[in-house]
Amino acid sequence: MNNKVISIQNISKKYEIGMVASGSFRETLTNAFSRFKKNKLKSPKDNFWALKDVSFDVKEGEVIGIIGRNGAGKSTLLKVLSKITEPTSGRIILNGRVASLLEVGTGFHPELTGRENIFLNGSILGMSRSEIRSKFDEIVNFSGIEQFLDTPVKRYSSGMYVRLAFAVAAHLEPEILVIDEVLSVGDAEFQKKCLGKMGEVAYGGRTVLFVSHNMGAVRALCQKVIVMKQGKVAFQGGVEEGVNMYLEMANENMSENGEVNFSVKNAIGSEELKLLSIRLKDQGGNIRSKFSTSEEITFEIEYFLTDPVVNMRINMRVLTVDDQILFSGSSHNKEPHSKNKGSYTCSTIFPKDVLNEGVYKIWLQAGCPGYKELLPEQIYIKFSTEKFTSSGTMRDAILPGYIAPVLNWEITQI
Amino acid sequence: MYKTVIEPSKGLSINLKEIWKYRELLWTLTYRDIRVKYAQTAIGFTWAIVNPLFTLLILSFVFGTVANVKVEGTDGVLVPHIIYTITGLCGWQYFSEVLAQAGASIIGAQNMVKKIYFPRLIIPMSKAITAFIDFGVVIVIMIICMVIYQFPPSDNIIYFPFFFFIAVISGLSAGIWMSALTIRFRDFQHITPMLLRVGMYATPIAYPASAVPEKYQLLFYMNPMAGVVEGMRWCIIGGNPINHYAYVSFIVIFLLLALGLIYFKRVERVMADIL
Repeated sequence: MNNKVISIQNISKKYEIGMVASGSFRETLTNAFSRFKKNKLKSPKDNFWALKDVSFDVKEGEVIGIIGRNGAGKSTLLKVLSKITEPTSGRIILNGRVASLLEVGTGFHPELTGRENIFLNGSILGMSRSEIRSKFDEIVNFSGIEQFLDTPVKRYSSGMYVRLAFAVAAHLEPEILVIDEVLSVGDAEFQKKCLGKMGEVAYGGRTVLFVSHNMGAVRALCQKVIVMKQGKVAFQGGVEEGVNMYLEMANENMSENGEVNFSVKNAIGSEELKLLSIRLKDQGGNIRSKFSTSEEITFEIEYFLTDPVVNMRINMRVLTVDDQILFSGSSHNKEPHSKNKGSYTCSTIFPKDVLNEGVYKIWLQAGCPGYKELLPEQIYIKFSTEKFTSSGTMRDAILPGYIAPVLNWEITQI
Repeated sequence: MYKTVIEPSKGLSINLKEIWKYRELLWTLTYRDIRVKYAQTAIGFTWAIVNPLFTLLILSFVFGTVANVKVEGTDGVLVPHIIYTITGLCGWQYFSEVLAQAGASIIGAQNMVKKIYFPRLIIPMSKAITAFIDFGVVIVIMIICMVIYQFPPSDNIIYFPFFFFIAVISGLSAGIWMSALTIRFRDFQHITPMLLRVGMYATPIAYPASAVPEKYQLLFYMNPMAGVVEGMRWCIIGGNPINHYAYVSFIVIFLLLALGLIYFKRVERVMADIL
């Protein structure tokens, strides 16, 4: 079990912005000519390092989650690992047959039948015809599309299409499996089935590298995580620690002034939900980030739905600086069953005299449970509380404890 | 156990072993193309017949009837112009099909190229095999014409496979070039049809190569298909042995192939990044 299956040694990948991009012939000629004339190299400013000195080893049977924010280099790393693109420097040694799954249904042709596409997709993914033939029934069963096996896939619903595509992929049996967020497709039930199948893969002694934004899946499947940040490995180790670090990294753009706003163009969320703003307000409606423990805090978010959704809810947690969940809440009791397209606000009030003095973070997530995620879990905003005493007497210490409800003491002599 | 080392690549050599390893993918892609192009749509197959048929009729009309080009076979016997044209057309039709399909092939398969690894050369190669169907169609038309005109093939027909092989290499090398160039420079999408239009007249399909003035002969045979078309015709009709300039055209083909593979390899490295 201790064999190194993957050894990644100082992998770097450079993209030359504008230079390599497929351009017009004339442009290249002009470029070549001007370079010839000036005999000057392109300035290093035009280079972008998608990966810089990435090194780590993976042992046999390990399931490793690779997490990081968008643009951290995860996908580039997977592309290099799957030989789709070459590294600029460094090397990777892989001991075992590698299959990479950066997408399900690669090469599917709409005109071909389900049966033909199984063979087509299978061989594109590296299975031999005999291998596909021997697993054919299993694949068909898993996908649940028996009746439509001889129908061109262009007549399939998107759900059927994804199920078939995933069924083929799930039956790959390489020693090393490289997976990019393919789980973000399909309905909840099928996703669960896929996670189950992947779990089987994961516990079947196969080595898996798994890129995901779904921390639930990472927690459920992985034994170790690697956190990528700006093309480098920022952390490798335990899942909880890594996931927390990932969530923490969101804090870098976490607001400390009581308000976060997104323009419609770069709104966070999903296709259906665009998060527009998050605000913390005092009783007077002023946006603040510092509150007194003795005042109510209104927490409000504003979002836009581009499509009607059913059964959505917003989940919120208030965390302490050291990531302990202080309390949590969900909007599900008050949400209508279905919501139309449009702008919405959602707010709640944190009661006064409950929080202790300190700095708090608010974690948010939205979704339709068991169906899809609308807003990825992340820590979005921070606020602090202080105790202002009316008497003005100096207090020497913060009361120990996560919360500090104002207690009413009654003293009677009996 | 498999062991793979991923490193920035150095040499420019083509890994034939790897292509062999991926041969099943090559067959599968070829099968897909054939299914999609011909079997699925009735129209698709009709076009595979109509296209060469009309080309044949128009070329034969323009050169045979209007320009009245007289062509001789073995022992100075006049050959029906339509037979003459179709024997020239079969090689060209194959070549133009490969060039047109292979040129756009990698752009067309970009979703695959960006998501999965396999030797990219498989894509243009599969197009060169798919076009066997088009070649077959023209051969059938040719046989029908020969039956109608009661024109038996010459004894040279045993060399036909050799020239067909050269035609495949020629189509493949042009296709490899075009597929790589099209990725690098999208402009080449428009250059391919132009090349094919020019090529159809610059190739001795409906007229004998000997009609080209001596001083242009060398230039004329720089066209990779000139030698092949002449050769294929010689196999069927017989007549004078192939002009020695034809070897120029064979040399051009192999140069085209060798340089094409090198260029392809260079583009292959960055293919997924620039698509």
